[in-house]
Amino acid sequence: MDKKVGFYICTGCGIAEALDIEALAKAGQEDSPACCKNHEFLCGEEGVQLIKQDIESGEINAVIIAGCSSRVNYDVFNFGKDVLVERVNLREQVIWTQPAGEEDTQMMAEDYIRMGMAKVTRMESPEPYAPEGEELVKTILVVGGGLSGMTAALESANAGYKTILVEKADSLGGWAANLYKMAPIKGSFNELQDNFIPELVKQVEENTNITVYTGSQVKNTANGPGLFDVTIHQGGSEINERVGSIVLATGAKPYEPDNLGYLGYGKSDKVITQAMFEELAANGQLKGVEKIGFIQCAGSRDEEHLAYCSAACCVESLKQSMVFKEINPEGVAYVFYKDIRSTGQYEHFYKSAQENGVIFVKYDQIDDVAESDGKLAVTLDDVLMGEKTEADEFDLIVLANGMVPTTALGEVVEEPKEDEDGNAEEEQPTQPPVIEADLLNLEYRQGPELPILKYGFPDSHYICFPYETRRTGIYAAGSVRAPMDLVTTIEDATGAALKAIQCAEATSEGKAVHPRSGDMSYPEFYMNRCTQCKRCTEECPFGAINEDEKANPLPNPTRCRRCGTCMGACPERIISFKDYNIPMVGNMLKSIEMPEEDEEKPRILIFACENDAIPALDMVGINRLNYNAWVRIIPLRCLGSLNLIWVNDAMSGGFDGVFLLGCKHGDDYQCHFMKGSELAEYRLSKVSETLDRLGLESERVRMTQVTIMDYDKIPKMLDDFAEELDDLGPNPMKDFA
Amino acid sequence: MATRLDPNLKKEVKEYGIKDSDKCMQCGLCSAVCPLATTEESFPRKMIRLTQMGLRDKLIASPEPWLCYYCGECSDFCPRGAEPGETMMGLRRYLTAQYDWTGFSKRFYTSEKFEIFSIVGFALLIGLGFLLFAGDSPDMEKARLSTFVDAHVIEYLDLAMAAILSALLLSNVYRMAKFQMGDLIGKVPLSMYLGEVKELIVHFITQKRFSKCHDQRQWFIHLLIMTSYCSVFFMVVVLLSGLGGLLPAFQTDEVRSIIHPYNLIGYYATFGLLYGTTYAMIGRLRKNRPAYKHTHSTDWCFLILLWLTAFTGILINAFRSIGVDGLPLATYVIYVLHLMVAVPMLVFEVPFAKWSHLAFRPVTIVLTNVKKKYHENLKFNPSFAKQVENKSVGTGN
Repeated sequence: MDKKVGFYICTGCGIAEALDIEALAKAGQEDSPACCKNHEFLCGEEGVQLIKQDIESGEINAVIIAGCSSRVNYDVFNFGKDVLVERVNLREQVIWTQPAGEEDTQMMAEDYIRMGMAKVTRMESPEPYAPEGEELVKTILVVGGGLSGMTAALESANAGYKTILVEKADSLGGWAANLYKMAPIKGSFNELQDNFIPELVKQVEENTNITVYTGSQVKNTANGPGLFDVTIHQGGSEINERVGSIVLATGAKPYEPDNLGYLGYGKSDKVITQAMFEELAANGQLKGVEKIGFIQCAGSRDEEHLAYCSAACCVESLKQSMVFKEINPEGVAYVFYKDIRSTGQYEHFYKSAQENGVIFVKYDQIDDVAESDGKLAVTLDDVLMGEKTEADEFDLIVLANGMVPTTALGEVVEEPKEDEDGNAEEEQPTQPPVIEADLLNLEYRQGPELPILKYGFPDSHYICFPYETRRTGIYAAGSVRAPMDLVTTIEDATGAALKAIQCAEATSEGKAVHPRSGDMSYPEFYMNRCTQCKRCTEECPFGAINEDEKANPLPNPTRCRRCGTCMGACPERIISFKDYNIPMVGNMLKSIEMPEEDEEKPRILIFACENDAIPALDMVGINRLNYNAWVRIIPLRCLGSLNLIWVNDAMSGGFDGVFLLGCKHGDDYQCHFMKGSELAEYRLSKVSETLDRLGLESERVRMTQVTIMDYDKIPKMLDDFAEELDDLGPNPMKDFA
Repeated sequence: MATRLDPNLKKEVKEYGIKDSDKCMQCGLCSAVCPLATTEESFPRKMIRLTQMGLRDKLIASPEPWLCYYCGECSDFCPRGAEPGETMMGLRRYLTAQYDWTGFSKRFYTSEKFEIFSIVGFALLIGLGFLLFAGDSPDMEKARLSTFVDAHVIEYLDLAMAAILSALLLSNVYRMAKFQMGDLIGKVPLSMYLGEVKELIVHFITQKRFSKCHDQRQWFIHLLIMTSYCSVFFMVVVLLSGLGGLLPAFQTDEVRSIIHPYNLIGYYATFGLLYGTTYAMIGRLRKNRPAYKHTHSTDWCFLILLWLTAFTGILINAFRSIGVDGLPLATYVIYVLHLMVAVPMLVFEVPFAKWSHLAFRPVTIVLTNVKKKYHENLKFNPSFAKQVENKSVGTGN
């Protein structure tokens, strides 16, 4: 179908007052669109009707709207999936940041109009991905039959999805099944409650939507969301299932108490773990114990053991102290803690334990746990009193020995870190490690399990995207994702089940999941020109691209999150999306008019990440902050999709400088696609060598990390850059452009 | 040597009315809002900690409970409802019992039965005394107290009682000082103690520390009760028969002019005591301030006795002044009742219970000052340090 572009300029919001609309329309008509109209209130009913009429009459099938930012009114300007819509941001990016009526302001606006036209000529309406001859299924697989797994299974089953639950042990229940009593999960949060796991098991077993495989393990997971082929081993037999998405709920294991000799474990049989306490309580062996001590952070929050807080042990110890007081009302219970982290409603539980007479002692360091005459004594630094303190005559000491996620139990998969020449490439951003934990056994090029973010946990992003992992369609829930208590686990499992359902649904319609939810484009590979360099397969943050033996990429579109990192990585430029590709951006930057050197109007090209930098740039406009008139902004899906050819094009096209605005990377990264801005920076380090060789100063190309809250600093960043470029003088390539 | 934690202390202090300190999570908000707490004398948080942890020796040696006047802001702000102010109050009771070597205070505070029996018993004893020893033929025509009791006898008894009670109280004060000062009590030169006498008197009379609490109304009311009581006490005990003729006797059969100084003081005292005690009683009934929310039986006991003392005191004056001759029988009866209330109150409250704070508070303030100055001198004044060192070597030999 031929593209017939309708060009609409909104003259509202002060655009007509600041810009010469006729001249704008002229710029818009350079590429001879099917129509070019302006309206004073395009987002109003009449304006939208105007566009709709043109679409319905068949006059146009693609729309360019020059007006406000694409971050607003996107719902108003949605004309169905067959009509391409491109927005030219005249409001936030031009008239709100530039003085009205000036020549440079007009030039900027006209350039954006040309860029919009150039962009649309290279865009196609994406067709949703649908694998040939295969059906995209919506069954949910839950791995792990503990509290989180059963909760996730019940949630998805109750939402109407076929659910498969795989449990390694011979019965459901997991860790929590062995608890004598439980900390409260509802109500006033101040009383012990009976173990509700048996009830949960019953619900799972009675639910007709759930197929339970106990005594089973996932031995292989092939393909991607909607098409996961899972091989389950049960006893000697093998079961094959196809599922849409997966919830990983394999939980955690207690930290090995043999490492806790410094707290007396192994030296005295009266020093026990939390698990052993539960056993004693269940067997009625706590009767007659007169004095008990609980040592918190036994291993946790200790660089030599577990560097993190295990999150559940405080509440568990509170519970155990209450259990003890219930059995022995006259008994004495001490809790030695660093901080009582009874978050949320569990604060009431903490108070309740205090009111039950449990004594809490805040320590900095336990010096000694020693046994004499069958009684234990604890010596410690009491932080609140600021002195050495001793508590003695304990009959039992319980160590709150923390948890280790099941994903952390195994050997780290070693990646060969050498390039073709045998040189170790150290500065190159590396993929996170994968540990062979024998949980999912993924058939992914980048390793058989979920990549590890920190401390062996496969969490994806600690604030922005809980439940997400770096493997699309696989959501971690419960204590395998992060250490957590009962309430959080239930919440977590519910959230993960919801994400799994979203993924199954979106995938079945050929749409992307978070963060580009609903995006129907996906990368296409022009394989004839592939040189098997493996960059795309290595750099894909989500392991979406497998490899055959000859290193040919084997894309799995349902695993893809549409960030375009592969497109940015490909030196042969054979990867493209229907509505986002190398020629499209190339076209945009070439459409910018390059003033002659003697006009003294430098040009700075900005590649800005759509997720944080573009909103920040919009906020610059919303706050009416001015920046210099030389910049031209091109939004990218992620800086990871930045292909170096664009930088080359810009420099050879006469741009005086190129500025990349990407997200923060490092430990507290903010990149929606994990490594995008880091990869861009790495790639840029390569381009500077080339620039140096060409006799162009490498200072002309640079990258900065911005967060959305840095908007107030952006004008100065841009002005400073312009000033530095001024010192360097104009791009010598200008004359050849 | 590490301090040992004693889990029984918590149970023990509970008997003195400390109920909610278990809820404390040691956030320290109470100490932060308290206008009186300092880095050195940090309360209430630290006191609650000592109680929770069972650090008995440290608790008994703590001056802090006496430095708090229970304005109640800590309890208002406590996020846990742990009533830190009430803990401080309970600790004052606990400490009073610890200072008291007779063990009477402990029983008085921890057993309501004992409290009531001892007061009622003592009151009956006083009544019995009057039945046995009162004047043989009181004037039933005209109210003349001299015909009922001999003011001189009462004066002697008054003074004897004052001496005994003072001795008891001072012995408890000395025990308190020993707890608070520890080894220092002998090391600090006498001159340092003497240098604080003025402060002691000022604090005793004005309770100026109390005035630093944000709500000064409490201080004012306390001052009203205190000055009222003191003036009456002075007239009744010291001037009862006029110090051997030096001043007019308080207890006479004449009806004084309404502007006689004794009467003027009497009006003030009457108003002060009745207003103050009534205010406190209504407050405690309505629980309208944190300090009034939790009322220990000894608090009621004290307030009621004080109110009754004042009230019966007024009645004596009223009955004997009505008409020309007064109401003789009523005067004599109410006189007996007055003493049946006032004497047990003084005997039990001053050395053993609430009223002992009249000595514990100012002495504690002075002792903490002394301790601070001693340490400062030791640190910054080399000659003083040397002097102290020589002395300790000397005593060591």
